[in-house]
Amino acid sequence: MIEFKNVTKGYDKNKSDALKNVSLFIDKGEFVFLVGRSGAGKSTFIKLLLREIEATEGSVYINNFNVSKLSKKEIPFLRRKMGIVFQDFRLLENKSVYENVAYAMEIIGKSEKQIQKRVPLALDMVGLSHRMNHYPHELSGGEQQRVVIARAIINNPSILICDEPTGNLDPETSYEIISILEEINRRGTTVVVVTHDREIVDTMKKRVLTLEDGVLKVDDATGRYGYEV
Amino acid sequence: MKFSSIKTMPKNVVRDTLKSIERNNLMSAASVLSVIAALIILGIFLILTINVQEVTKDVESKLELKIFLQSDFTDTQKATIEQALEKSDLIEEVTFESAEEALEKFTVSLEDYAPLLSGYNSENNPMPASFVVRVTDPDDMDEVQTLAMSFEGQGVEYVRYGQEYVEALVSFNKFTNTLSIVVLVVLSMISIFIIYNTIKLTVFARRREIGIMKYVGATNAYIRAPFILEGTLLGLMGAIVAFLIIRITYYYILGLVGGNLFLPVDASLASPDAVMGQLIFFYLIYGGFIGAVGSVFAIRKFLDV
Repeated sequence: MIEFKNVTKGYDKNKSDALKNVSLFIDKGEFVFLVGRSGAGKSTFIKLLLREIEATEGSVYINNFNVSKLSKKEIPFLRRKMGIVFQDFRLLENKSVYENVAYAMEIIGKSEKQIQKRVPLALDMVGLSHRMNHYPHELSGGEQQRVVIARAIINNPSILICDEPTGNLDPETSYEIISILEEINRRGTTVVVVTHDREIVDTMKKRVLTLEDGVLKVDDATGRYGYEV
Repeated sequence: MKFSSIKTMPKNVVRDTLKSIERNNLMSAASVLSVIAALIILGIFLILTINVQEVTKDVESKLELKIFLQSDFTDTQKATIEQALEKSDLIEEVTFESAEEALEKFTVSLEDYAPLLSGYNSENNPMPASFVVRVTDPDDMDEVQTLAMSFEGQGVEYVRYGQEYVEALVSFNKFTNTLSIVVLVVLSMISIFIIYNTIKLTVFARRREIGIMKYVGATNAYIRAPFILEGTLLGLMGAIVAFLIIRITYYYILGLVGGNLFLPVDASLASPDAVMGQLIFFYLIYGGFIGAVGSVFAIRKFLDV
C-alpha cells in the first residue's frame, strides 16, 4: 500500500517544485505504471518512497507507516519491505549471478540454509537457473535485468518498485521483463513501474498515473498512456 | 531479526575485509608503516616517561628529612619534638640518632680514613643529634620541614633534605609527561589521517556496492563493519610490528648501558618486562583505536544515501 497525501517536494527555493501537491493511493496487490516526461517528477517520486529524500510538505505512507516520520535508523527496515529494480541494473561485477542474489539475503542476516533454498527458486522464477554461476558481464541486458528482479524479490517485499526497467532493453526483451513483473504481481506483490515505454503501457492495460511538471495529471484505471508525445 | 543479522555477519565481513586489504595492498602497507612509525616514536617517549616516573618514585621513597638538634637540647625539648612528629599524619617513621651514633656512622663511612676521627669521643663530639624522618608522601616534605622549623631555637638547629634533587626530578617528570601527551596527540592525528585516506580509497572503490547495500536495506552498522574491521586490523598490524622493533631495540640498549643511569642519586630503572607489558597493552589498544577512528571518518560521507 502506497499513499501520498498532498506531497510537495522542492529542491531549490528559486526553482519550481519537483512535485506539487500530489495525492494518490496505490492499493496492495495493484500493478501501476507511472509515466511522464523527463523532469516530470518520476525520480522524485521514487526517492520519496525509498526515503532517500523527505517531502517538503505532506506525507508519504507505505503499508500505513508514515515514511516521513521514520528515524534514520529505521530507513533500512523500510527498504527491506520494498524491492527495487534499476534501469542500469546495479549488479556487483565481481559476484556471480547466484552471489548477487544471495547478497541481498546475507545483508539482512538470513542463514546460509535459507539462502541456498531461496536463491535457486528466485532465479527459476525469472528463468535464469541455467545462468546461476555466470558473472554479470557474461549476460545480456535482459538477463542482467532478470537477475536484478530476482534480487529485488528475494526477500519477499510487499512492494516492487521498477525505475525504467526496460529502458536499456529491446522491445522483445522488454516484454519478457514486463511479463515477469506481471507474474510477480499475480503472486500478491504491489508493482510500481516507472517507464517511458508507451507501447508497453498501452498493451498492458493497467492503471496509469501521469505526472506532468510535478502535478499528477491523469489517474487512469483503464490503461492509456496519459500524455501525447 | 537484528540478532540473526549479527550472527551471520562475521563470516561475510571477514571475507570482504581480507579481500579489501589485499586489493589495496600498497595503501594498506603505507597505513601500517605510518602506524609503525608513529608507534615507535610514541614508544620511545612512553618508555622515557615510565622510567622517569619510576626513578622519581624510587628516589622519593628513599628521601629522608633530617632534623638536626641544637648541641645543648634538653630531654624535655627532645620529647616534645618527638611527640609532635609522631602525631603528624604526614610522617611515616621517625628515628632518633644520637650524637654518638652519628659519629659512629660517620667513622664507619670514612672506612680507611677513620683514624682521622680518632681524636673525637663523646666528650668533644662535633656531630649533632638528629631525628631522621621518612614522610608518607614526598610532596609533603615542605610541610614537615615547616613543622620541624617551628621548634627552631627550642631544640631544633636546622632541617634539611634533598630539596634540589626532588624539585628537579619532579619538574623533569612533569616535563616528560607533558611532552608525551603532546607527541601522542600529534602522532595520533597523523596516523588517523593516513588510515582515514587508506580506508577512503577502499570505500571509494566500493561506493557502488555501498549504494546497492543501502537500497537492499543493509543497516549502516552492517555496511560500516568491514571498513572498521579493516582499519582496526591495519592499526593492530602496525602495533605488533612496532612493538617487536621497540622491544628488540630496548633490550639491546639496556644491555649496552648495563643499568648505569649516570644519575647523582641511587635509583633503578623500571623492570624492562613490566615496561614491555605496559607497552604492548597500550600499543594494541591504541593501534586498534586509531584504525577504527580513521575508518569511521572515512565512511561517514558515503553512508548518506
